[in-house]
Formats: sequence, structure tokens, C-alpha cells
Amino acid sequence: MSNSANTSARERFLAPFLAAGYAAVDPPVLQPAELMLDLLGEDLGRRLYLTTDAEGREWCLRPEMTLPVCRLHLVSGSHERLGAYAYHGAVFRQRQGAGVGEFTQAGAELLGRQDSEQADAEILAFALDVARRGGLACPVVRMGDAGLFRAFLGALDLTPSWRRRLSRAFGRGQLLPHTLPELSVQRKGLAKEGVLGALAGADRAGARALVEDLLAIGGLQAVGGRSVAEIADRFLEQAEDAAGGALPAATAQAIAEYLAISGPADQSVARLDALLASHRLDLGRARASLTLRLRAIEDARNGPADLVLDFGFGRRLDYYSGFVFEVEAEAAKAQPAIGGGRYDGLVTLLGAPTPVPAVGFSVWIDRLAGAGA
Amino acid sequence: MSHLILAVPSKGRLQDNAMAFFARAGLPIVQARGGRGYVGHIKGLEGVEVLFLSASEIARELAGGGAHVGVTGEDLVRESIPDADKRIVMVEKLGFGYADVVVAVPEAWIDVSGMADLDDVAAGFRARHGRQLRIATKYINLTRRFFADHGVVDYRIVESLGATEGAPANGTADAIVDITTTGSTLAANALKVLADGVILKSQANLVASRQAKWTDAARRNLRTVLDRIAAEARAERVREIRFVVADLERVSTGAVAQFDARAPFGSLGEKGVLHVDASNVFAVVDWLKSEGASTITVQRLDYIFEPETTSWINVEAALP
Repeated sequence: MSNSANTSARERFLAPFLAAGYAAVDPPVLQPAELMLDLLGEDLGRRLYLTTDAEGREWCLRPEMTLPVCRLHLVSGSHERLGAYAYHGAVFRQRQGAGVGEFTQAGAELLGRQDSEQADAEILAFALDVARRGGLACPVVRMGDAGLFRAFLGALDLTPSWRRRLSRAFGRGQLLPHTLPELSVQRKGLAKEGVLGALAGADRAGARALVEDLLAIGGLQAVGGRSVAEIADRFLEQAEDAAGGALPAATAQAIAEYLAISGPADQSVARLDALLASHRLDLGRARASLTLRLRAIEDARNGPADLVLDFGFGRRLDYYSGFVFEVEAEAAKAQPAIGGGRYDGLVTLLGAPTPVPAVGFSVWIDRLAGAGA
Repeated sequence: MSHLILAVPSKGRLQDNAMAFFARAGLPIVQARGGRGYVGHIKGLEGVEVLFLSASEIARELAGGGAHVGVTGEDLVRESIPDADKRIVMVEKLGFGYADVVVAVPEAWIDVSGMADLDDVAAGFRARHGRQLRIATKYINLTRRFFADHGVVDYRIVESLGATEGAPANGTADAIVDITTTGSTLAANALKVLADGVILKSQANLVASRQAKWTDAARRNLRTVLDRIAAEARAERVREIRFVVADLERVSTGAVAQFDARAPFGSLGEKGVLHVDASNVFAVVDWLKSEGASTITVQRLDYIFEPETTSWINVEAALP
């Protein structure tokens, strides 16, 4: 592609965002490698292009745009101000084999908006618009809600360790096939059964002191950055889990039913409410937020789209905190062309002193053949 | 250059074991400059050039095609060669240089016994300590792959270039991925291996490069090398039984059917020869006696050459 063709593709992509008051940004290509690795994980880390400057600091070519855009927001003014950004540029990820690891990614991020549901809807409307301009007359969108799932787990009677495990598995798509069946059977063959059994049901402070003493007597130093108290607490938690037995069948059933709800938005909501009523669960603010968001989405969208609300759909939970969505490139293609969602915790990890609400989406231009053209 | 380039480890036990292995297979390696040189040759076999390199250099040379074959650990192959199966072929496990690549955590972590526990600890680590869980290792790629397979994502790798097992004690990491043979170094550093934390059971392998320039002469020489290795390996497993019996054809056929023996020189006349698995020797001898055989002798052989060498057939199929 010639340079001028590229420029005009960028301009065409950005035009509607500029008209809506978004700022077009192009964050630095070189980003601090440490920070990127820390927030994106080692798995993407192996695909970074790394380089070192004369003072020994490690840099990487930006592998995605969301983090660099958020950093730009933080360095250019108060973290609490509103930020609406659109971008279209190269990102760099090493590929297996001989392929060139330079891709075009475009998208938008909305930072600091307190009306979360309206912001979610605005971002989704832009994503749908981009999909239609890219040649998908009626884009298929899968929507999920990480915040609602958290609230759902919070309302169920679960131990903290179960809640953590279910929550992690949800973000990785392993919950239904692996984790739920595993938790539903009584754990067997625990080497620590004797001690764990003896500790179960004991007074917590006393039991913790006992475990700390045991560690001290054994001469086991708490090496590697964890404290003795932390180890003792988690050990006691295991004792309680072992004593409590397997996940109750009714709870497992409720989770399985929740995850299976998928379909047109109004039908999914009706099935959700029936499920919540039958188990007498109240999800509070998270449930109200769902209705507000769906209404805002109906108001904001300006063309045909096939919207699927899938409560089993989760993306990485350490990154996404609420609304998540994907636009399929075409029914047959495995990888989505557009993905997005709400990431309220991320800007704090980049150094913001107080939480910054944030939502955005990005497009893999190569997967969306005619985008902007 | 039409030489076959064979890379062998340049120091330590790995070198001693590799030299002994080739010597047993009738391929004695002669090092230039009386054992101090970095090149050598195989006595009595023209056209093979031996390079002495460190095990990790060998993996790199095989990946890039700088050597045709070499002796190196599977751990190094899997760690340092991306897309290994496209660049190299594992020819043969050599039965030495055993080492397991494992995930180990401090013994004091009594609440952590498997990868699922480590995942749970890692996921809560940032909230508790303001930083990610750190894993010290020199096996960066193996670690990333293994942790990804177990769904562990919340961690950082700290690259370690030696004495990895000391990292948790001196505070540069929380847990490690390293090799262990007996586990004593880990124990001495108050570390324990996770129950499902064995990433790879490695040993020294003979590895062929798919990237090297494979001339006819190089192929011919590799075939000779592999023939001898296979002939020595088979001789190690098999014993030769000689005997005299009246009805040789019937007895021979019976032994072949009953003991999975082989009659390598046919069964004409009355002097029989059988090749049997070493563990079967006395069963066959007893049976031969009951069939009326006399003068039964058993001996070890140095080499048994077969018409086709399986390892060569496999390698040849993978070469360009």
C-alpha cells in the first residue's frame, strides 16, 4: 500500500470520530517494555519487538494501542478530565514463521465518563458503524457482562477461593468445560488432609497462630515475597474448603444455567430474570446497569446489527471489568475483527491516583477487509 | 564442503558421555591438539568433521544449519529453537544427560502443591504486593508455553543466567523454573517441585538439522554413523545362541515363533544360530535342550548390522 493510500485510509477512518469531538492521537511507537509486559502478560510478551537504549532501559514497539493511548491521557493533563480518543496506526507483534509482524490497528477509547452505560453504548455504536463501513451490512455482535457475572458470584453462597477460581475460569472460557465439573466433585487424596481436617472449623485467629508456629518450628522461612500470615491464611482457606466439600449441586446448576443464557437481548434478559427469581438472587446495581445499557444501545445505534447477549461470554477479567463485546469478521472466521469493552481498573495500574472509568474498542483492519475504504 | 559436520559438547560430563557413546558405536572421536582442540574427526571414517561446542551453541547451530547433526539436550532444543519441528529432527535418545525442567516454589508455601494453587496465588499477587509474581528462569519459552497451557497469566519472568535456585532466597524472584536431576539442589535451597510442575523430562539426544546443506556425501556419512549406532544398540539388547540339533529347520521355526527369536543365517544343515532378546536367553536354552540340542553356546556380539536402519529411514524422510 502506498503512503498516500494509507494516509487516506486513516483519514477516512478518523473522520466520523473527529466530527463527534474525539481527538485523533498517535501515541509513541516506542513504549516502556517493563510496563507493557507487566500489564499485557508474558504470553503476549514473547511476541514483543524489544530494544534497549544506551542507558540500558528496555523499550518495545507498541503491540496494541489501548495502553499507549491511556498513557498519553495521563501525561497530558489531569487524569480525571474527559478524554475521547481515536487512532489508526501500526502495531507490532512477532509472528511465528516468516510473516512480517506489523499490523494496522484502529479504534477509540473513552476515558473519565461517569455515565458508564451511555459511554458503553456510544463505543458500541461507533464499532458497528466501523463494521458496516468495512463491508458487513448487518454485523453480528456478541455482548457479555463481566460486572454482572461478578455480582452473580457475589450473590451466591461461595467460599472466597471458589469465587476467585470461578471468576478466573470465566475470563478464560474454561468455566463450563473444566472448572465447574472439577469443583462439583469432592476433592480426594489431599496430602495435608490430617492437618487441614484438624484445622477446619477451628477459631480463625488461633488456627492462624498455630500454622505460623508450625512454619517457624519447621524452620521454613517465608521466602519469595509472600508473608507467613498470607500463607497461613490461604492454608486455612483450603482447610475450610476441604471441610465444606464439593460445590453444592444447586449452586453448580445455577451457574451452568446462567452461563447457558445466550440469544437476542430481550430474550436473554427475560431468562436471566427468571433464573434470578427462582434462586432468589438480587444482583443490585449490576442488574440495573444492564437494563440502562441495553436501552442506551437501542437509542445510540444507527443501523442494522444482529445483537446477541451471551452471559457465558467473558474476556480476560483482570483487564475487562464490565461490558464486553466482539464483532465477528464473518460467521465462518474464527477470530473477531473488532473487540472491545470496559476496563475501569487499568488506568489505575498505569499510575492514575484514583480510578478512571474507561471503555473502548479496537479493529484489526486486516481482518475487516474493506474498512475505511 | 561435502563433510558431515557433527557437533558434540565441549566440556563436562556431557562431553565424556557423548565421547563414550560414539566410541562404543565404533566411531571413536579424536580431538585435535591432544584433547584441547575445538575440532576433531572420527578415526577410520573419512568425511566427518567434529566440532566441540557448548550444548546451547549446538542447539543454535542445528537450528541454523551450521551443523548437520549434534548431541544436545531436549530442553535446549525446545527452549531455544522456535518452530523446532520445522528446523530439526530428533534422531535418537541417548540415555544420558537426564534432567527434568520443573516449576519449584519455596517449601514454606505449604498452601501450594500444584499449578492450580500457583495460579490462585499469582492472580491475587498484585492486589496484595503491588507487583506481579516473579518467576526466575533461563527457560523463558518453555515457561511461557507451560504456564499458558495451565492458564497462569499473572506473572513476570526474571531472566536468570545462573544459580537460579538461589533467586527466591535472595529476593529476586518468588518461584523458579529450572532443571533438576536428583532434586538435591532444590532441597538445599528449601524449594519443592509442584506435583504437576514437570515441564519436560529431558535427556541428551542425537539431533539432525533440516536446515543444513545435505550433500550426497553428508547423507552417506550420516547413514554410516546411524548404521553403526543402531548396530551397537541392537548388539547390546540381543544375544547369539549357537547349537547343534538334528531337525534344525523345525527347531529353528519353533524358536522364532515361540520366543520372537531370529535365525539370521537361515536354518539349513544341523548347526543353528539364533538371535534372541537378552532377557529370553535361558528360556530359549532350556527349550532347545528339551528339543534335543547339544553344544549350546551363548555370546555377546559387538555389532548387529541390519539391512535397514530405522533411525536413518526416519531422518532421511525428514531431510530436504
